[in-house]
Amino acid sequence: MKHSIGLLTGCGLAILAGTAALAQTEIRITHAMSSGAGAEAFNTIVANFEAANPGVTVNQIVFDDDIYSDTGLITQLQSNEVPDIYFQWAGYPVARDVEAGYAYDLSAAMADGWQATFIDSAFSAGAGTTVDGKVYMVPLSLDITNTIWYNKAIFAEYGLTPPATWEDFMGIVVTLAQAGETPIIEGNNELWPLGNWASHVAARVVDPVKYDAAFRQEMSFEEAGFLRPLEIMQELHNNGAFNVDMQGLGADPAMAGFFQEAAVMHPIGSWLVGSEGDLAEEGFEYGQFDTPVIDPAHPAPDSVIGTITGFVVHAQTTHPDEAIAFLKFLTSPESQVIWAEAGAISPVKGVGEMAKLGEQMQGIEAMLAGAQTMVPPPDTTYPVPVAEAYYQAAAYAASGEKTSIEALQWLDETVTAMGKQ
Amino acid sequence: MARGDNRVAPISTGAGNILFVAPAMLLFGVFVLLPLATSLYYAFTKWSGYAEPEWVGFANFARAFQDPVHLASYLHVTLYIIGTLFLEVSFGLVMAVVLNSDRFGFSIMRGMFFSPMVLSMTAAGVLWAFVLDYRLGLLNSVLRSFGLDGWAQPWLSQSETALIAIMFVSGWRFAGFYMIIFFAALRRIPRNIYEAATLDGAGPVKQFFTITLPLLRHQMLTCILLAVTGGFAGFDLFFTMTNGGPFNATEVPATWIIRQGFDNNELGYATALTVILAVVVLIVSLVYLRVVERANVVRY
Repeated sequence: MKHSIGLLTGCGLAILAGTAALAQTEIRITHAMSSGAGAEAFNTIVANFEAANPGVTVNQIVFDDDIYSDTGLITQLQSNEVPDIYFQWAGYPVARDVEAGYAYDLSAAMADGWQATFIDSAFSAGAGTTVDGKVYMVPLSLDITNTIWYNKAIFAEYGLTPPATWEDFMGIVVTLAQAGETPIIEGNNELWPLGNWASHVAARVVDPVKYDAAFRQEMSFEEAGFLRPLEIMQELHNNGAFNVDMQGLGADPAMAGFFQEAAVMHPIGSWLVGSEGDLAEEGFEYGQFDTPVIDPAHPAPDSVIGTITGFVVHAQTTHPDEAIAFLKFLTSPESQVIWAEAGAISPVKGVGEMAKLGEQMQGIEAMLAGAQTMVPPPDTTYPVPVAEAYYQAAAYAASGEKTSIEALQWLDETVTAMGKQ
Repeated sequence: MARGDNRVAPISTGAGNILFVAPAMLLFGVFVLLPLATSLYYAFTKWSGYAEPEWVGFANFARAFQDPVHLASYLHVTLYIIGTLFLEVSFGLVMAVVLNSDRFGFSIMRGMFFSPMVLSMTAAGVLWAFVLDYRLGLLNSVLRSFGLDGWAQPWLSQSETALIAIMFVSGWRFAGFYMIIFFAALRRIPRNIYEAATLDGAGPVKQFFTITLPLLRHQMLTCILLAVTGGFAGFDLFFTMTNGGPFNATEVPATWIIRQGFDNNELGYATALTVILAVVVLIVSLVYLRVVERANVVRY
């Protein structure tokens, strides 16, 4: 009898516990923040959200960056159990998701004052977070996809200072190369690292209308004037700018190489700051300058290259309210201060002033504030195969595999062969 | 007992037997025929994997025959197959002959030579990518330690050496496999043939070309078929060591298909490339089998 009562009590407790578990709502969020300060900050924000919302748990599905963009996201979007929220790059990917019916219209949620908490440019026509005037992406970061990081100690050793002009920059490259240093390290086996920089260079020297027309396949790259940026890449190669293993090296090992003083400069995005803690030795000092003005007569001579990244709520989510609640929490000033202090540029108003930013992030903020325009990287704005073809042409010229003229010819032939994308 | 009573009952051809083959046919249909049919359909569409596929007729196939990287990928895979025939099949044969002995230590050497086969191709690729790394790799470290700094090269980062490096790793991985096939066949060749040849004054080299090679012809043809078809399907070493780079210098059909399908989100085009690859492998296999069949005909 005693045993029977104990058994019944146990069963009762188990049922109660099960009921409590059933009452718990789980939202699934997938992204590519697998390590570094950004991942730690995100985990902290998730923990804070769960503490403030005891009925909701957040299940993170995390991928390596490349796997996420290649296969990780697409397989999840089409699975039977879709993520409630997914990470995305603004621009072409968001427009594609909207067309395919994956993105949830957030306009109504934004209308209650949420949108007003972001900087105005986060939802401008060119920001890539809206489609046909409707909001589909919650901005999380303004990512500068390319700027030039440099090793302060080596610069000091050779008496160098950040360049004011492109000629100064080439002078630095030549000085370092002649001294036996590797001036620039780039890990370009995925093509986008150098491709982003080469696109920024192109955006600085090619007429903006023709630049856009070439990537939209409305004009050949030759007609648009892309010989000049490819000549610049070839000139860098001729001056011994790049590491010899550039085309076989990955983006992450190249970043590690910069922090380990294998080279003096490293053109890559603002996310480098978030990896400093994992990769740099104590006391490693580095700074940043943007690609110097190449053509002062160009309409946008000092543009910056960057994009917005953020989160999209899946159109088939079964928990839209909880998903939106989480994203509101994530983009609250309190959470964004945590996020910004981990090395991100927050799109939320006032966070830049509230957060304790390091020297590097202050430099990035100043660069953003001083830039006339922001140009997006081609692979988030135009059809990926066209962007990839330009990236490869730039790599050809930068590594000396082809001359700039041959690379341009290859580019136009390749884009023609692929047909209208 | 009548003669007919002893005959084994013929396999029934009744409709009821379809029930017994139905599960196998169902599985074959669902997992082989249906994917093949849908692949054929997608090959004629423009499909990103995100939106609905759009019928484009033969446009993907027309593009494939104008795509310089795609065309070059067949040249690369042909070079790779030629390289593997030499480094894997030929070297495996030589090692089988050299190590064909019962003396002490030879079985251990055969085991060591075969041991790379126990590694997965992916693990072998990652391992060798470390060995051949320009900065920290074992090969360049050894060269530098001997003062041969000029010999240290970015083996996997330059077009001239990347494909050769992959062929070498493939040879390291598979030569032991072919050695075992040849070794097993060598053991079945009667010793008295060699003894008779020795009495007739034939040396080891002449014995190899007049006895060993002709008697290994069937195994040789099998190994060549395995190397050729395996070469066309080659993917994992290429993916882990160079991913088709640098500058598509190690791009083979499989890596180019993956790049189109998943990097560029052109699944329709990637499927068309897959159909072309399947047809090419089928044609090569049929031609090869036809040639082998003729070679095996005994003429009186």
